[in-house]
Amino acid sequence: MIQYLLQVTNTHSADSSFWYLPVGVQFIFAIVFVAAMMGLTHFLGPKRKTSDKLETFASGIKTHGDARQPMAIKYFLVAILFVLFDVEVIFFYPYAVNFKSLGWDGFMAVLMFVAFFLAGFIYIIKKGALNWED
Amino acid sequence: MQIGLTHILVLSATLFFIGVYGFLTRKNLISMLMSIELMLNSANLNFIAFNKYVWPNKLEGLFFTLFIIAIAAAEAAVAMAIIIQVYRQFKSVDVDEPTIMKE
Amino acid sequence: MNALILSAIWGVVMMFSGIFTKSGAAIRGIAITGLALLLVVNVLDFQGTALVDINTRGMLVYNTFSYMFLNIVFGATLLYFFLSGSDMERVGLHLAEYFALIFFILAGISIVASFQTLLMLFLGIEIISIPLYILTGSDKRNLKSNEAALKYFLMGSFSTGLMLMGIALIYGSKGSFSLETIGAGTGVITPLLGGGMLLLLASMSFKVSAAPFHFWTPDVYDGAPTVFTSFMATIVKVAGFFAFIRLFETSFGSVQAQWQLFAAIITAATLLIGNITAVFQQSVKRMLAYSSIAQAGFMMFALVSLNGKGSEGLIYYAAAYSLATIGVFAVLIKLNDYTFEGFNGLGKSHPLLAATVTICLLSLAGIPATAGFMAKFYMLSAAVENGKVIWLVILGVLCAAISVYYYFRVIQAIYFKDGEPQVAEVSTTFKVVMVLIAVLVVYFGIFPQRLTDFLYMVY
Repeated sequence: MIQYLLQVTNTHSADSSFWYLPVGVQFIFAIVFVAAMMGLTHFLGPKRKTSDKLETFASGIKTHGDARQPMAIKYFLVAILFVLFDVEVIFFYPYAVNFKSLGWDGFMAVLMFVAFFLAGFIYIIKKGALNWED
Repeated sequence: MQIGLTHILVLSATLFFIGVYGFLTRKNLISMLMSIELMLNSANLNFIAFNKYVWPNKLEGLFFTLFIIAIAAAEAAVAMAIIIQVYRQFKSVDVDEPTIMKE
Repeated sequence: MNALILSAIWGVVMMFSGIFTKSGAAIRGIAITGLALLLVVNVLDFQGTALVDINTRGMLVYNTFSYMFLNIVFGATLLYFFLSGSDMERVGLHLAEYFALIFFILAGISIVASFQTLLMLFLGIEIISIPLYILTGSDKRNLKSNEAALKYFLMGSFSTGLMLMGIALIYGSKGSFSLETIGAGTGVITPLLGGGMLLLLASMSFKVSAAPFHFWTPDVYDGAPTVFTSFMATIVKVAGFFAFIRLFETSFGSVQAQWQLFAAIITAATLLIGNITAVFQQSVKRMLAYSSIAQAGFMMFALVSLNGKGSEGLIYYAAAYSLATIGVFAVLIKLNDYTFEGFNGLGKSHPLLAATVTICLLSLAGIPATAGFMAKFYMLSAAVENGKVIWLVILGVLCAAISVYYYFRVIQAIYFKDGEPQVAEVSTTFKVVMVLIAVLVVYFGIFPQRLTDFLYMVY
C-alpha cells in the first residue's frame, strides 16, 4: 500500500485497471468507516424503547395523514430553481480546466456568463420566488 | 471481455428506443418526461462513446454533452411548470385527460 | 452578431422593466425602443460597421442572406409589436415577461440565421422553443392554452431527442460538428451518416410542422393565445425554415440526389394535407393554422430545389408570408368571434380594416400584384429550374388554386354577408400600421426586386 502511494514511476498503461486501486481503497474505507460508526453507536448508546419512538419521524412536529397529499407549490418552485442554478454551474468545469490558456478573453466570456446568471438570480429574488412566508 | 464501442452503442440505442417506446405508450406525464430524458441521455452516451473510441484527440463531443445537460435541465423546469399547471386545471397528470380541443 | 448580443441583453432589460414599472404603455415603449435599436444595429452590421467584434471561431458566420433575413424578422416583429403589443396585456399580468421571452426568441433566431456548427443549430432551436412553450401556456386560466402548451412541449422535446440522436450519429461518422467539414466529405452516404441525416430531416420537419410531422400544429396554434399564435406562425416558422435549408444546403447539398425524393414527398404531403384540411375548418384561427401548414409546403420547395433561386425565394417568401399573416391575425385578435361568421359585415362597419385585411388575404392566396403571388412564383420557378420535380410544381399550382377557396370565404364574409361584427377598440396607430402592411404587400408584389436586390449589394 505504502509503496503504491509513494511510487514515482510505474510500468502500467493508462488504460490499466491498476489506476482504479485508489477508488477501491476509498470504497473500502467508506464502508468500514460507516460500519464502524454504526456499530459503535449501537453498542455505546443508551436504549429506551417507547411507543413514541416507533412513530414516523417528521422533524419533531406531530405527524398527520399519510405522505400522499398535495404539497405547497413553494417546494416545487425552490426545487426547480435549485436544479436550474445547480446545472448551469456545469459550464465552469471546462473553463476551470483551461482557464490559464484561455487568458483574459476567456475570463471576460465567463464574466459575461456570470453576469447573465446573476441577473437571473436577482430577478427571482425581486419577484419574490424565494420568499417562504407570504 | 473488453468493453468496446459496440457495447456502448448497443446500450445507448437500447436506451433510446426504450425512451421512444415509453414516450409513445405511457399515459402518465411524468413517465413521458422521464422517457424524453432517457432519449437525451442516450444521445449523451453516444457522444461520449464516439469521442473516446473514434475521435480520441477531439473534445467537441464532451462539450456538446455539457450543453445537452444544461438544456435538458431548462426543459425539465419548463415541463414541471406546465405539468403542475395542467394538474391544477384538469386534476390529473394523465395525457388523455386534456382533450377539450377534440370536438 | 451584434443583434444577437443586443437581443439577449434587451431580454434581461425587459425582465427587470416589469419589476420597476407596472405601466403597460411604458413596458411597450421599452420593447419597441429595443426592437428599433436591434434593427438599426443589424443594418449597421450589414453595412460593415460592427459595434463589437467577437471571434466566434467559425461557429457563427453571417452572410448577406443572414443579415437580410434578420432585417425582415426584426422589421416584421416591430410591426407586430405596434399592432398587437397592447393585446398582450389581455393575456395575463406578466406583460414584461412576454416581451422578454420574445426578445430571447429573437436571440435564438439570430443564432439560427448564422449557425455554422450543429452545436449552434441545437442551441438556437432550443432557445427558440423553450420560451415558446411558456408563451403557449401563458393564458394560465384557459384550459385550451394549458392543453396546447402540454402538447407543444411533448412534441417539441421529442423532436429534440430525435435531433440530438441524429447529431450524435453524424458526429460519430465525421468527427466534427462543422457544417463545412460534414459537407466536404459526403460523396457517399455511410449508414451512420444516412441515419443521422434522416433523423435531422424528421426533427426539422417537426419544428417547421411539415407533414407527416404536423399533427401538433393545429391544436397548438388554436390553443395558444392568439397574439402569440401570430408570432409563432410567422416569424418563428420562417426561422425554422431558414435553419432547415442552411443545414441541408451546406452539409448535405452534395448528396442531394439521395434525399431529394424524401423532401419532395414531405412537401407534397404538406401541401395536400394543409390545403385540403383548411377547407373544412369552421374557425378562422384554426383555418389559419392549417393555412400555415399549407404555406410551409410552399417554403419546402426551397429545400427540394436547393438552388440560388430557392434561397432568394425563401427570403422573399418569409417577408411576404409574415407581413400578410401578421396583418390577418392582428384583425382577428380584435374580433370577438373567431368563426367565419365573426367577419360578417366587417366591410360596412370598418371599411379600412376590411380593405387592409382583404389585401393580406389576397396575398396569402397568391393573387397577382401582391407579394404572395411573387413569392409562390419564386418557389415554383426554383423547382422548375431544378428540373427533377416537375410533378411537384403541378401539385403546387393545384394546391394554390384550392387555397383560394378558404381565403375567399373570409373575404366573402367581410363584403357579401350582413352582420354586426363585434370589434374591440382600434387605435390610430393600429390603422396606420395596417395600411403600411397593405402598402408593403402590394409594393413588394409589384417590385419584387426591391427586396431581393439587397442580397447582392456589396458594401
